[in-house]
Amino acid sequence: MLRHYICQSFAQAVNLSAEEIFEKDLTLSEIIAISDKLQNSIDLMESFARVANSLKKEYGIQVRLPALSLDTAISEVLEIFLEEAAITSAA
Amino acid sequence: MPTLSLQIPRADIVSQLYPLLANQTCNLVELTWEQHLFHEQRSWSAVSLLQSVNLDALSPIDKANIWNAGRAELTTKPGADRLAHLADAECRRWQDTNPALASVLQACSTWSRYWNEEESFHETTLNHLAHQLGFEPVSDESFLEFRKIFPNDDMLRTLVLLAISEITAMVNYSTCAQLAQDPGLRKLFKQIASDEAQHLSYFISFAKALVDSGEYSPKGAFAITHFFLREDGELQGSQRQKKEQRNTHVNWWDALEYDWDQVPNNLARKQGIIFSVLRQITGIAVHSVNEVEQTWMDLVGC
Ligand SMILES: [Fe+2]
Ligand SMILES: [Fe+2]
Repeated sequence: MLRHYICQSFAQAVNLSAEEIFEKDLTLSEIIAISDKLQNSIDLMESFARVANSLKKEYGIQVRLPALSLDTAISEVLEIFLEEAAITSAA
Repeated sequence: MPTLSLQIPRADIVSQLYPLLANQTCNLVELTWEQHLFHEQRSWSAVSLLQSVNLDALSPIDKANIWNAGRAELTTKPGADRLAHLADAECRRWQDTNPALASVLQACSTWSRYWNEEESFHETTLNHLAHQLGFEPVSDESFLEFRKIFPNDDMLRTLVLLAISEITAMVNYSTCAQLAQDPGLRKLFKQIASDEAQHLSYFISFAKALVDSGEYSPKGAFAITHFFLREDGELQGSQRQKKEQRNTHVNWWDALEYDWDQVPNNLARKQGIIFSVLRQITGIAVHSVNEVEQTWMDLVGC
């Protein structure tokens, strides 16, 4: 449920389909390369911030954004978001 | 005797650049003369400063500082070259819809020639000094690597990144000056630190003018600042756990090679200056890394 929400809201933030990003498990640099919304890692960070903001708004969950290298796979980022969300919703 | 300077205090030229151009209080010819004047008045002789350095009196830390700084300064030319082009292209973009902003950007593109020249004094002086000290010269291969031009980015982000780079350089050179026992070397480092402080004031001026124009959201300024200040962020430079692997360009702060136990990196001091600069540019006051992140996230929205 939460997983689905995060995938959708990230896909929307980078203007790509969730299937395209998550099924192929793209790396962050691959996402930057194919998204017309992203020029560099600062843009990517902004799209993570958008996801975090909407999680807070919709679910009241506070997620801290990690510093990630660009060879990180998106599945790893998703897990980090879910772990962070589990910590704050348990607290 | 003709008046040398505009009848506008320099502090106002820095902080009121956009309104000065928008109200047509001054024009580009006058602003360019101010830039020239300020550049000429602060110019110094590399040859005479080098002659005053006593090579035999330098410590191993002094030598490491000279070598690292000379290499780092190699990246300033591609930075200034890029600024000239990016600011001119951005100037054309606003020419019809916001002529005052177009003039700000042309002033910025024009100033990059003075910036480039001043940085060339740092680069050549320090690298020559390293050569005199018997260091193996930077190879042509590394020289070419350090000259690679940064990829383009949003204009406000670029200016804030350059401001942070100047803050880092200014604090580092001040530290080098404090550590130097030889009066000649101390004078050289102080001279360079004061150049970097002046470059910083120009970047504040241009960045603030962009925000004042209403065409650029302060979000870009906060995004870059957050990128530098976050945990394991760019401000930690070559001390970071994981640095980006890239072959597009060299960030000089990532390329420093030090025994970090011996030189202070003054993170708290750099942070304090960054908060103050961010307030000058955006009008938004922040006092901690967390506040930077929170403000940035609020500006990004959903
Ligand atoms: Fe410099
Ligand atoms: Fe500088």
